[in-house]
Amino acid sequence: MSQNPYIDVLINAVLTVLFIIIASFGLGTLARYIAKWAGAPKKQQENTFAGYLFAAPWIVGFLIFVLIPLGYSLYWSFTDYRVTENVPPNWVGLSNYAQLIHDSGFRASIVNTLFLTAIGLPLMIAVALFLAVLLNQKTRGEHVFRMAFYLPVILGFNTAVLLSWRLMLNTGTGIINQLIRAFSNAFPPFSYLNRAVIFIQELISAVFLGISSGKFNLLNRVWAAGLPAANRVPMWVESPLWTKMSVVLLMVWGCGAMMLIFLAGLNNIPRELHDAADVDGANSWQHFWKISFPLLTPFVFYNLVVGLIACLQIFEPIYVLYRDNQPLVPSVISMVYYLWQTSFRNFEIGYGSAISWLILFLILAVTAVQFLIQKRWVNYDLY
Amino acid sequence: MRTTWHITKRIILYIFLTGATVVMCFPLFWMISSSLKTLQETNSPGILLVPAHPTLAAYIDIFHNADFLRSYFNSVFYTTLALIGTLFSIAVVAYAFSRIKWPGRNIVFFLMLSTMMIPSQALLVPQYVFFNKLHWIGSFNPIVIPGFFAGGAAMIFLLRQAMAQIPVELDESAIMDGANHLQIFWEIVLPLVKAPIAIVATFLFVGLWNSLLAPLIYLQTVSLYTLPVYVSTLYNINSAVQPWPTIMTAAVLTTVPLMIVFFIAQRYILEGVVITGLKG
Repeated sequence: MSQNPYIDVLINAVLTVLFIIIASFGLGTLARYIAKWAGAPKKQQENTFAGYLFAAPWIVGFLIFVLIPLGYSLYWSFTDYRVTENVPPNWVGLSNYAQLIHDSGFRASIVNTLFLTAIGLPLMIAVALFLAVLLNQKTRGEHVFRMAFYLPVILGFNTAVLLSWRLMLNTGTGIINQLIRAFSNAFPPFSYLNRAVIFIQELISAVFLGISSGKFNLLNRVWAAGLPAANRVPMWVESPLWTKMSVVLLMVWGCGAMMLIFLAGLNNIPRELHDAADVDGANSWQHFWKISFPLLTPFVFYNLVVGLIACLQIFEPIYVLYRDNQPLVPSVISMVYYLWQTSFRNFEIGYGSAISWLILFLILAVTAVQFLIQKRWVNYDLY
Repeated sequence: MRTTWHITKRIILYIFLTGATVVMCFPLFWMISSSLKTLQETNSPGILLVPAHPTLAAYIDIFHNADFLRSYFNSVFYTTLALIGTLFSIAVVAYAFSRIKWPGRNIVFFLMLSTMMIPSQALLVPQYVFFNKLHWIGSFNPIVIPGFFAGGAAMIFLLRQAMAQIPVELDESAIMDGANHLQIFWEIVLPLVKAPIAIVATFLFVGLWNSLLAPLIYLQTVSLYTLPVYVSTLYNINSAVQPWPTIMTAAVLTTVPLMIVFFIAQRYILEGVVITGLKG
């Protein structure tokens, strides 16, 4: 192995390409022999060879990087395995999974994920839909607006952008709270709105924190304190009541991909339907709820499925903003963050495998449930 | 009456759209603005939209920071290498799924689509052990090599949809002329799917450039860090004062390639080529 990391990876890349080519020809030839043995005509034998030859990179990669690792991690999830100690895995049966049920850290990560899906995802879909409807009005400079709304998707959860948000969310000097203060001082109604939103948000967060810790004294405190004082601002990255909301804010900011999907859906709705409603004297509100929205439900469904999977995989914001922040971590920890912590900080491979499988199972289960109940509300009339 | 109402509605519409645009672009603006401020200005209470005394000090400093420059090079290097390998293998596999009829194609295709449901994080633990056995921890291999095996089912699907739209007659006449699949792939199909390839390349680039978790786990030493990992170390939660101008300068320089790629590719992405691909 070369000492220079750049040359090392280049050599390995060339070796990998050679390996893939050899494996592809091997798989293609094998497939041709089987086709020949099965008595396929000459042309089909050639197609079998070519098909497996071209698909081989994926098939081989699937075996090496997906199927075999999944099998191993399933086995390890039933063992006590620490990669640092150089001892073989020791079979412990279901004890990892049993331990997970009583693990307060894991429980917190599930409850926090629930918050992101129950509060963040609907907000994200609503904002995406709202922006799509606005853009669908055929305005001047539509393309510039589209670009601006899609920009956050490209920037994504890049560390750089997350840190920019961290600066903006500072409780004392951050620009967001400065603007909230300025608006509150200028327009008293805004101040009341701000205080009401803070109160409701803290109540909801306190409920979720109560569920994850089993103790509801924080909820009682928030409730007893009543409507916050006039000069209160959100304590974004400093209070356990606000940490999850800061992640929700980031999610909503990145709703541009969902917006594009909704825009495609809106473009698909035949003009005649709206014309007919105009003849009947429908207003914009009725146009949206009686025509557009029912026909958009397949797109809402798509965004829900994709968004939920994304919610269950959140890692970067928690790592960049809250890593090592001991008092706050439990209030915001996500399942993937917890997986990272157990597997790659504590190197508990057996326990980490159990978490991996639980995450996988949750994603499959949630998606399956969504597909089962979609018949009740998704409207496929147009398709 | 009707026209006044109509004009008012238009004005409200534009106010909303402009407001949303400002909100969406604000973090980027704030990043740039803060990178030009002094440390005092970034920590001062008060609304300072643009720095009172713009300074390039942070930029000059960061160009003397060897760790930052190396992590920049590392990011460019690993992204380029992984992008080439992934893009090429994805195109090859998409060709197999769209232009060749072979027994088992539907089963393999369905299998590939179902891997979209498997979160990459669920595979991290066993893959880590596997790479550890290969002595690949602390090298670029684990974040570059897996992509060479057509990593990214959604991207294969997107490209397959685009390739499937090319008329079959083109292949058939080429086969008449004695061309093999490799020639058809390279000389006929690839030139016809340039736009979808550009989109896939953009998505792959963005994914690789923004990637944090895998580089964090596998690279281990500062000399190998990619930008997201290195930039995250600049923000230390336990120190009282954060060097915000420095962090924001690093952030601006990190996002520059993303912006360039987005401006080049936005026409294809926003005009819904992707969505036609997804729907078909």
